Amino acid sequence: MADDFIKTLKLFFYIQKSHFKTAFLSVGDALSNVVIMLINNLSFIFMWWVIFHNKGSINGWDFSDMLLLNAVMNNAFAIFALFARGIQALPEYIDNGSLDNYLVSPQRPLFMIATSESTFANWGDLLTGLICWILSGYTDLLSFALMIYASLCATAVLISYRLLVSSLAFFAGDTQKLGDNIFMAFITFSSQPASIFTGWYKVMFLSIIPAGFISLIPVMLIKTAALPVFLFLSGAAVLSIVISAAFFRFGLKRYASGNRFGVR
Amino acid sequence: MTDIIKVDRLCKKFRLKKNAAGLKGLFHPEYKTVTAVDRLSFNIKEGERVAFIGPNGAGKSTTIKMLSSILHPTSGTAEVMGLIPWENRRRLAYHIGTVFGQRSQLWYNLPVQDSFGLIGKIYGLDDIEFRRRLSKLVRLFEIRDLLGHPTRSLSLGQRMRCEIVASLIHRPQILFLDEPTIGLDVTAKEIIRNLVKKQALEENTTLLLTSHDTDDMEKVCDRVIIINKGRLIFDDSIHALKESYLNKKYIEVTDDSGAKIKTVVDTKTTPVKKALDELVQKYHITDITVENPPMEEIIKEIYRRD
Repeated sequence: MADDFIKTLKLFFYIQKSHFKTAFLSVGDALSNVVIMLINNLSFIFMWWVIFHNKGSINGWDFSDMLLLNAVMNNAFAIFALFARGIQALPEYIDNGSLDNYLVSPQRPLFMIATSESTFANWGDLLTGLICWILSGYTDLLSFALMIYASLCATAVLISYRLLVSSLAFFAGDTQKLGDNIFMAFITFSSQPASIFTGWYKVMFLSIIPAGFISLIPVMLIKTAALPVFLFLSGAAVLSIVISAAFFRFGLKRYASGNRFGVR
Repeated sequence: MTDIIKVDRLCKKFRLKKNAAGLKGLFHPEYKTVTAVDRLSFNIKEGERVAFIGPNGAGKSTTIKMLSSILHPTSGTAEVMGLIPWENRRRLAYHIGTVFGQRSQLWYNLPVQDSFGLIGKIYGLDDIEFRRRLSKLVRLFEIRDLLGHPTRSLSLGQRMRCEIVASLIHRPQILFLDEPTIGLDVTAKEIIRNLVKKQALEENTTLLLTSHDTDDMEKVCDRVIIINKGRLIFDDSIHALKESYLNKKYIEVTDDSGAKIKTVVDTKTTPVKKALDELVQKYHITDITVENPPMEEIIKEIYRRD
């Protein structure tokens, strides 16, 4: 078991090295994309600074909350885009039959699919996450540990949600655009001040579109370090992984390989 | 020799939506069931080179995909190296290699050598073992000059040679080749056929090759299984097929006025050379094509004799 894990970890790093190599075939392009991504994210943060500077707070949320939200959200999205982006391409793999390549591999199909793509520009998101955390003022050791933990849980929820949406393609054919739109709605919800969602919107925010586990709950955990919040977030992360992995496995059994021409 | 592949009444049905477009398709979907593979049974011995032949839509690729663990069958069973493919996907992967002519297992932007390195890691080969194996395959498939090029810059023929090397890196006992010569020109097809046969003989690899090109089976395999509409209609040696059904050649010549003259020669009674000599004397020929009967003709003939 431990041996298997170490081998998979080594393969993971080797695949990442290959992605780096691909990105650095054009160094200037790769680095400028990172810088542009960073500028784009920071201009968004600046917009929120202007709003909070004029309004003071929104339903109890102030600018430091918004910075924490952006730290967690950017970290989660960056980890997804850098190390598991292939999940986003799953409907395309299903539609054109290139999923076959991963099914004849001796590795777990989901691992191979997830690591099959990476977008180098999203290192800019990780840098944004770091800057937002420093600016938030929650820089003590405990807050730092909680921020890392909350980011990992948020990543688990984000990746699971994308996997769930992508796996619809096993049942409904080419759902690439539908999946992209649902996922974009999820990201949009995650990037709003969580305090604006109340009543039924809040229920939806923590269930059908579980954006609250990227924004509201992680921010609460970093600010309060409360055990119930810690358990709630951890439970949501584990549950989302279990549900999405089961849905993927169920879909895989229904997979009918396509035969369209193409290359990786 | 032991049976390395056993297939017993294997069946695969697909449920397809009849009215996929429009609102009706969304709210009142109608389905039809298509039988791609219909109670197929055969065994393959270790080291055999078997051509799996049939027209488009015969069920060749679907069968290969079930045997290589990609698809689950609707009914029936199969064993590959003593394993049920769809239940032992990861264990089986170490024993089989797959080449799908219609898609690539190489990374589009990476140099071919890096793709091979990645595949070596996926199969858990250590560096020394990997280098030794790759060096042998590179020599065998004559791809030394291609190693530094990214996949995107290769011609289809070059890419196919690299695809086959990629599928052999982990030393599989069985190689599934699904239309490996599709889209290739005559020269590239010939190179691929020769290399595949050479490798199989050298390493005693069991081959299951699908194609709708009868030349592929003649040049590479020693046994042929023909299927049509998912059902087995012929299973014998290439020699037996040649004797019974491949004894005709289709000759087409173009004369200097551009007119095309077609003729069919029975090779049992008339050697091809004699037929060509007669045509050369009769016409001012600018082009000649000599072909085996198309797959559809062979199948018609098999049904006719049954």
